[in-house]
Amino acid sequence: MRSCEPLLFKNRRAEGPVFLEGYRKNGGYQGLEKALRGMSPADVREEVKASGLRGRGGAGFPTGVKWSFFPSDDAGEKYLVCNGDEMEPGTFKDRQLLLADPHHLLEGIIISCYALGIGTAYIFLRDAYRECAGNLERAIDEAAQAGLLGDDILGSGFSCEIHVHRSAGRYICGEETALLNSLEGLRPNPRSKPPFPAIKGLFGRPTALNNIETLANIPHIVTGGAAWYKSLALTEQGAGTKLYGLAGHLETPCCVEAPIGMPLGELIRDFGGGVWKNRSFKACLPGGASTPYLTAEHLDVALDYEPLEQVGTRLGTGGVVVFDDRTCMVAATLNLLRFFARESCGWCTPCRDGLPLVCWLLERLERGEGTREDLTMLQEQLSHINGRSFCALALGAMGPVDGLLRHFAEEVEDHIRMGRCPLQD
Amino acid sequence: MPTLTIDNQTITVPEGTNVLEAARQLGIEVPHFCHHEALGSVGACRLCAVEFLEGPVKGIQMSCMVLAKDDMVIDTGSDGVLAYRAQVIEWLMTNHPHDCPVCDEGGECQLQDMTVAGGHGVRRYTGPKRTYQNQDLGPFIAHEMNRCIQCYRCVRTYQEYCGGKDFGVMGTRQRLYFGRFSDGPLESPFSGNLVDVCPTGVLTDKTYRYKSRIWDLQEAPSICPHCSLGCAVIPGARYQELQRRRARTNRRTNGHFICDRGRFGYGYVNHPDRPRAPLLGHRRVTWQEALAALQNHLHEFCELYGSGSISMLSSSRASLETQFLTKRWANALGSGQLCFEAHPRRDQAARVAASQAPDCSASMEDIRSCDMAVLVGADPLAEAPMLALALRQAARRGARIVVVDPRPVELPIDCERHAAAPEELPRILQGLTRPQQNAFASASEEFGGALGRALLEAKNPVLIGGSDLLGPQGCQMLLKAAEACSPTGSTCRSMLLLAGPNSFGGAMLSDDGPGFDALLEGMEQGRIKSLVCIEADPVADYPDRKRCRAALARLDLLVVFDCAATATVQEADLFFPTTALEEAAGTLVNNEGRMQAFEKVFSAGTPLLQSAAGDHPPRFFSRDIPGSHPQPAWTTLARLLGRDAELEKVRRELEKIDPRFDGLAGLTADSEGCRVVAPRQAPALVAAPASGVTASDQLHLLVTEHLYGSELLSDLSPCLQAVKSDPYVWLHPQDVARLKLVEGKPVRLCTSLGEWTLELRINGDISPGVAVVPRLRGTVVETLVPGSEPMLCRIEKA
Repeated sequence: MRSCEPLLFKNRRAEGPVFLEGYRKNGGYQGLEKALRGMSPADVREEVKASGLRGRGGAGFPTGVKWSFFPSDDAGEKYLVCNGDEMEPGTFKDRQLLLADPHHLLEGIIISCYALGIGTAYIFLRDAYRECAGNLERAIDEAAQAGLLGDDILGSGFSCEIHVHRSAGRYICGEETALLNSLEGLRPNPRSKPPFPAIKGLFGRPTALNNIETLANIPHIVTGGAAWYKSLALTEQGAGTKLYGLAGHLETPCCVEAPIGMPLGELIRDFGGGVWKNRSFKACLPGGASTPYLTAEHLDVALDYEPLEQVGTRLGTGGVVVFDDRTCMVAATLNLLRFFARESCGWCTPCRDGLPLVCWLLERLERGEGTREDLTMLQEQLSHINGRSFCALALGAMGPVDGLLRHFAEEVEDHIRMGRCPLQD
Repeated sequence: MPTLTIDNQTITVPEGTNVLEAARQLGIEVPHFCHHEALGSVGACRLCAVEFLEGPVKGIQMSCMVLAKDDMVIDTGSDGVLAYRAQVIEWLMTNHPHDCPVCDEGGECQLQDMTVAGGHGVRRYTGPKRTYQNQDLGPFIAHEMNRCIQCYRCVRTYQEYCGGKDFGVMGTRQRLYFGRFSDGPLESPFSGNLVDVCPTGVLTDKTYRYKSRIWDLQEAPSICPHCSLGCAVIPGARYQELQRRRARTNRRTNGHFICDRGRFGYGYVNHPDRPRAPLLGHRRVTWQEALAALQNHLHEFCELYGSGSISMLSSSRASLETQFLTKRWANALGSGQLCFEAHPRRDQAARVAASQAPDCSASMEDIRSCDMAVLVGADPLAEAPMLALALRQAARRGARIVVVDPRPVELPIDCERHAAAPEELPRILQGLTRPQQNAFASASEEFGGALGRALLEAKNPVLIGGSDLLGPQGCQMLLKAAEACSPTGSTCRSMLLLAGPNSFGGAMLSDDGPGFDALLEGMEQGRIKSLVCIEADPVADYPDRKRCRAALARLDLLVVFDCAATATVQEADLFFPTTALEEAAGTLVNNEGRMQAFEKVFSAGTPLLQSAAGDHPPRFFSRDIPGSHPQPAWTTLARLLGRDAELEKVRRELEKIDPRFDGLAGLTADSEGCRVVAPRQAPALVAAPASGVTASDQLHLLVTEHLYGSELLSDLSPCLQAVKSDPYVWLHPQDVARLKLVEGKPVRLCTSLGEWTLELRINGDISPGVAVVPRLRGTVVETLVPGSEPMLCRIEKA
């Protein structure tokens, strides 16, 4: 069993969260000290860019590149917004991090603010994460008391404040521009891009938006250096470690930290305890509900951005949801699509009206009422929704449909031919 | 300026133009729902997809969201695009109730057009449809949410463009609801625009409900007659009934929208009390009899007393052609006793307005694009509602808006307010005329100077004045101030709000002619024996009704031409029914000096619903159309002058005689209109009498216009009665406390013109020492006329 020295989970204890004392004892805030005392903001940005860190919120955009678009050196109000609206089904990694070690995120935010010349940061947190919000608020108080947050941090002259904002609880609030509207007290409809948030974001000001896990990696990149960080991955092009949520039909569902690039099968076997009840592996969502399925033939695929793209899916959030051989993939897809249709903000037609139509078609197929025309219609929905919606919600929503039609076409056909779900007794 | 190719046609468009607009310039209409020229692009409906073949963007993209760039090659009708658009229509139609036969939008429904055009003929979705409870949104707008396709145009219009706050979008996903938190009348005075922007039948004109299909309507480009702005409208008539008005686009004036007074004020045309036949005394006579009586009488007066015994009064409601022929007729009779406004101060103010250089006057478009606007004594929502909307668009782009007024001027924007006392206004204007001066005599002048300096620093400043509050002297000062505040290389444009839709035209034709005061004096002295009122209502419009009535009573002959049962019509010895604006063609000159032609929409006649007593079709035979006697005033005047009643000829003649009206003959009703080319000479004004509050219990009385109930014609529209206020007086809380009055309780308003009991309302935005009473026709305060000489009053417990 391969494992790695944990970075983000290094303070994760069964007995509960670690706060300032425990965090500092284990090397906490050394990255901040190093950055403030020995590095210029540009140095930090350069290091992050060199590290190859990619966004952990789902889209996987290189963090250093994203930061390079940010007007770090411009005067005036700028914001950092930490996206903690972790609402993708199958994804619970950020929650585990905050439950274990809230200072980890704070240190990442403070260093990032320093690197980007930002004085105010907001943590936009999923509504259900009450305990995490409590942990963060306590950690913010502690950090402020210790001079790690607020005015003149560690005597460096750099000042920064962090606010926790709890979401009103919609999946769309995780879309970065909808998040900004929500934070401003507006309807969480996505904004059109350009202008991108880095230029015109929160309250019309330049805004850096990063996921919790992404930001929590920053202290380690600063402390250990870009080359070391990059070397942690098992793949050539990969960098660092990743938090994986293992859920579904597994013996031991869990959240683990493993190097980027660990093969899917190995992760499922070594950490998830294999498929439950001695059943066999049928499929999985590799990175949350919006990523197309992988099947048994993909168990050797490395869990890294490029290799997953090559097999037609995405690393997403790293939320691996496993389905055993008794799962009806039409039913599973319908279940996922119901979530997405419900969470559409209602702004654009393909998402608002297209997803319910997809649900209706899947319902017909699952009930055994589906026809060949319905299947054609489903295929049309896939091609017409993908890439034509206002934001990425509908694109993500169609991920499972894409996987279903690519990998389980025969199973769908069986539903039509038999006039019932073949997996139901 | 990018150059791109759309459907094999090449076009160069200004930077920042999106592909949908670029295609439209080529005459290619890309199907869309959420995009609207006035509201912009938001990318919600996803219908306007086109295929980008070459250039920086590739594949199928929304044309409203992509800016035109060099080297783009676009196909708006590729197979992929057509298939995708058909899919969008299918999505939008999954829950649509398909109730076109009972939907008022049918025939002018964008969804219907797109569904047919997109080839979506069979609904593949057979599941249940989502349904909604509708709301009662008040007297103007009917609500049918089941038809909604969620284009968001309504909220964008209502909230963003119009500044309304009580209508919005609620819910998410496929359960969106466009409406209010609870049932209730829409509060925005621009709510009717929801009818025009809704691409389907969710929000329709309640006053037009179940009346006609668009193809059965007689429609023509027209002008709204309910204020001096001259907004472009399209009235629609059927069965001799004017059934609705909708907005027409004129980018120089109203843009795409109109106000509710304009939209729902049409009912005057159909009013059951409208006099439709010539009357001699109270006896119905034929046109021949009436005209013969008129000519005989006038001939007799000329013989007996000379032509000076004949006087004529037209009004700002009359078309330019009518005004012009009135003048020609007076000339032909040899009488110089002619004026175009019964209200002397309004008359003078209009003559001042007509003296501004045409290139210095502000159009509504200038106001929408200004970066600073100062309003002195102007209450847009009451006096010219669409001006409020124009100011809002400027404010949305960051313009600074300053309101200087004794009244609590309400605007659909946050703006700077300065509650100035009425006597302060001239001093503030004085300051505005000398922005560069170092020391000022008073704080008011200093304030005016500071505003002037800010205007000087602006790029496109506008100075707006209300002629009722400023009076002719104030108007003249405002024009001077605009000149003084013009930054180098730019102009501080000015706009004066006038009394009626053709005040400007009347003022142009007045030249140095007498005012109505002089005519009244002539009547009182017995020199003037007859008055011909052509679409004028001096009894209601002259500020001192008692004096006016007494003078009219001394006349030997009062002749009235009108289309409404006005107070003056009741006194007429001889009456001629005229057509309403929609029943004839003509020209109006708006408050910026823009000549705008309007076409005849339909022929005058008693609405079928009235003449058939509710039966349809009528069960009797008739040789002529009932109620079709009204004639355009100008055609009758042409007959009296013994010439052809040809509009073209009248326009050409006016243009020839008076080159200031150059371009009139070539005007078409669907154009943007054209400005008069030269100003009239500034009138010589006598100094305004100074008024001071003498006793401590005295207050300045300001009688002002009100959005509903002040303007003659719209007040005759039945559907506007529902939104008309009861009479009230507004006081500042300080005055209320000082006079020991109680809010909501009736109080007694005592003036030199009479005493009235009104409801007391308190408003902290009002200037202390001022009592504001809105003019409301048909109520106890009907005889109080805005724009009068400054008046004092007392307010006591009733």
